[in-house]
Amino acid sequence: MGDETSPRSGAFAINRRNLLLGATAGAVAMPWVGRAHAAEPIRIGMLYGKTGPIVGQSEHLAQGSFLALEQRGGTLLGRPTEIVWLDEPNPQGAQQNAERLVGEHKVAGLVGGALSSHAFAISAVAKKAKVPFIATNAAADALTGASCNRYTFRTQAPVEVQARVLAPQAAAIGKKWYLLTAAYAFGQDIKRFFGQYAKEIGGTIVGADDVPVGTQDFSSFILKIRAAKPDVIIGGIAGSDLMGFLKQWSELGMRGRIPFAEIAVGNTDLWGVGPEAADGLYTSTWYYKNPANPPDEQAMTAAYEKKYNRPPADKAWMGWFGMNILLDSIEAAGSTDPTAVVNALERWQTRRGGTREISFRPFDHQLTSTVVVLGVKPKITDKWDFFDVKAEVPKTEAEADALYGPETASACKMDSI
Amino acid sequence: MLDMILSQAVNGLVLGFLYVLIAVGLSIIFGMLGIVNFAHGAFFAIGAYLALVLTQQFGWGAALLAPLLTGLIGMVVEMVLIRRLYDKEPLISLILTFALALLVEAVLRLVFGGAPQPFSPPKPLAGFVEWGAILITTYRVAVLCVTIAALVAFWAFLAYTPFGRIIRAGSRDPEMVGLLGINLPIVLSGVFGIGCLLAGLAGMLAGPLWTVSPAIGAAAIMPAFVIVTIGGLGSYRGAIVAGLMVGLVTALTVQFYPDWSGVAMYVLMAVVLIARPRGLFGEKWERFE
Repeated sequence: MGDETSPRSGAFAINRRNLLLGATAGAVAMPWVGRAHAAEPIRIGMLYGKTGPIVGQSEHLAQGSFLALEQRGGTLLGRPTEIVWLDEPNPQGAQQNAERLVGEHKVAGLVGGALSSHAFAISAVAKKAKVPFIATNAAADALTGASCNRYTFRTQAPVEVQARVLAPQAAAIGKKWYLLTAAYAFGQDIKRFFGQYAKEIGGTIVGADDVPVGTQDFSSFILKIRAAKPDVIIGGIAGSDLMGFLKQWSELGMRGRIPFAEIAVGNTDLWGVGPEAADGLYTSTWYYKNPANPPDEQAMTAAYEKKYNRPPADKAWMGWFGMNILLDSIEAAGSTDPTAVVNALERWQTRRGGTREISFRPFDHQLTSTVVVLGVKPKITDKWDFFDVKAEVPKTEAEADALYGPETASACKMDSI
Repeated sequence: MLDMILSQAVNGLVLGFLYVLIAVGLSIIFGMLGIVNFAHGAFFAIGAYLALVLTQQFGWGAALLAPLLTGLIGMVVEMVLIRRLYDKEPLISLILTFALALLVEAVLRLVFGGAPQPFSPPKPLAGFVEWGAILITTYRVAVLCVTIAALVAFWAFLAYTPFGRIIRAGSRDPEMVGLLGINLPIVLSGVFGIGCLLAGLAGMLAGPLWTVSPAIGAAAIMPAFVIVTIGGLGSYRGAIVAGLMVGLVTALTVQFYPDWSGVAMYVLMAVVLIARPRGLFGEKWERFE
């Protein structure tokens, strides 16, 4: 896959006339050379998978990101700005491409990490190269926990936070749980949390399977779940694996018979399953039909629908939101100097979910954003509108502290710049 | 527990037969053409996407055309690309077919987007059946029947038709077949087309079972290679036995050691190769020695 940049970049292609004009200007008045340099585009590095299991989500994350820049007219600090989008096929590929973005493209900041394992790799590059990095879709706890660093900022609520939101809802249905989780960080975090939570509430884990990433056939797992007769299945599988499971779950007549609950699941996963097979109770970061969405997000929804002829998925919003935070912070810093941008990111705040101001916590760089609880509609009539919004939390500072945990519980040891 | 094992075994057989269908095409292409076709998964993906598009446009009946169209595309690819590789180093064909697989995946992504496409079984086959402990979807039963019918038909074609005899003879001594006055290039195009047709048929059948995304071919190609290796390169009987073994082992591993289910077939392959380095039914083929 080649590099992809926003359409603005084409407007600055050097032709012979521009070259001649530039040389003439330089010869006439040397001080103008400095100003010519100032018109260099600002580049933002973006890493979302163009290949691999997460590609279905990446497409939306990237579309949202491009929209964020378009809504600003493709400029920052009065300079043309472009997004350089590279692939993240696996953690090693993510690391190499992050290094390319910093070394070759001289980007002012990085956005991306569609999978937690990729985000860890990019975060390590950000720390080493001293470049700000916004992780928009990684949910593994350690990114803003034990592996935190001064240059990494995470917008997605981590696994444990989303699990704290979902667990009481699942427990209200029943306390016999079956855990079906992926054999990597995301799934294992879910397995650990729900296993512990079940113990605390006197629940039982009637079965727990680790599913290899890329599993196509889930029928054998479904037969085991059916035999174990749980009250709720707690899922921890992502992307095409989740779609395959739900599809086969429905085909085997299990839809509606045992509730399925999972955190951090988005519209794209369920759109791929189709209205006949969609089922479950989920947490997500955003939903386009949530009446509580602030005006700028409603405007984003309208702009996205106009451009792509479909409503934005939560991932499109996550891409848009993460990119906007970086762009806002570059504007606020008044330069692309990494230290200034990191300081601006630490001061950045906005208002979502009612009256509460949300910002990155200084001690771990975790954004204390809201989480929505979504239930699949009993009857889906619109090919995009699959969910009812059951709740949006946290509403108050106290709720936010309880959900995200206090500083004393954080495993992050924040370094200095 | 016996009930669960039986249930998983039946499930494993369905999975195994689907793998057989993919692997047989790969096996005959290698046996006849001497090409290790890394793009075989791409033809599987083409079959799935063609079935999806034809179903959306004209209904499920039209999806039956998907394997035929995949076969035709395969013949064109053989004439344009594969034909140039017969007298080249095996490494060249590996690189070229691998590149072809990447190209097809990229084209599918360009045309259909990266997101998986919803694709459900036809309405009359949407239910499931229960026989005691055995639970299986009607569609999976249909897949089992179609796969067995296709394998029997293909076996009869190889055993009893003149073209089938030419294929079998050509796979052992293509030069002699050419010396007997048979137009070998046309036969080779036909064989490649048939291999792709079988991959397309497997793709069409697997579309509603799995998740139709541009990477679906990659999920199919690895089991197919493992099966061909276990069964013995070029062996029809070997592909069938090995396919069923892989399906059974995968399903039973899910029952007892789920986190090992992804590697179970590779362990099986290693064990078989230690005992029989040419695979279960692999023979010494002079032209590949």
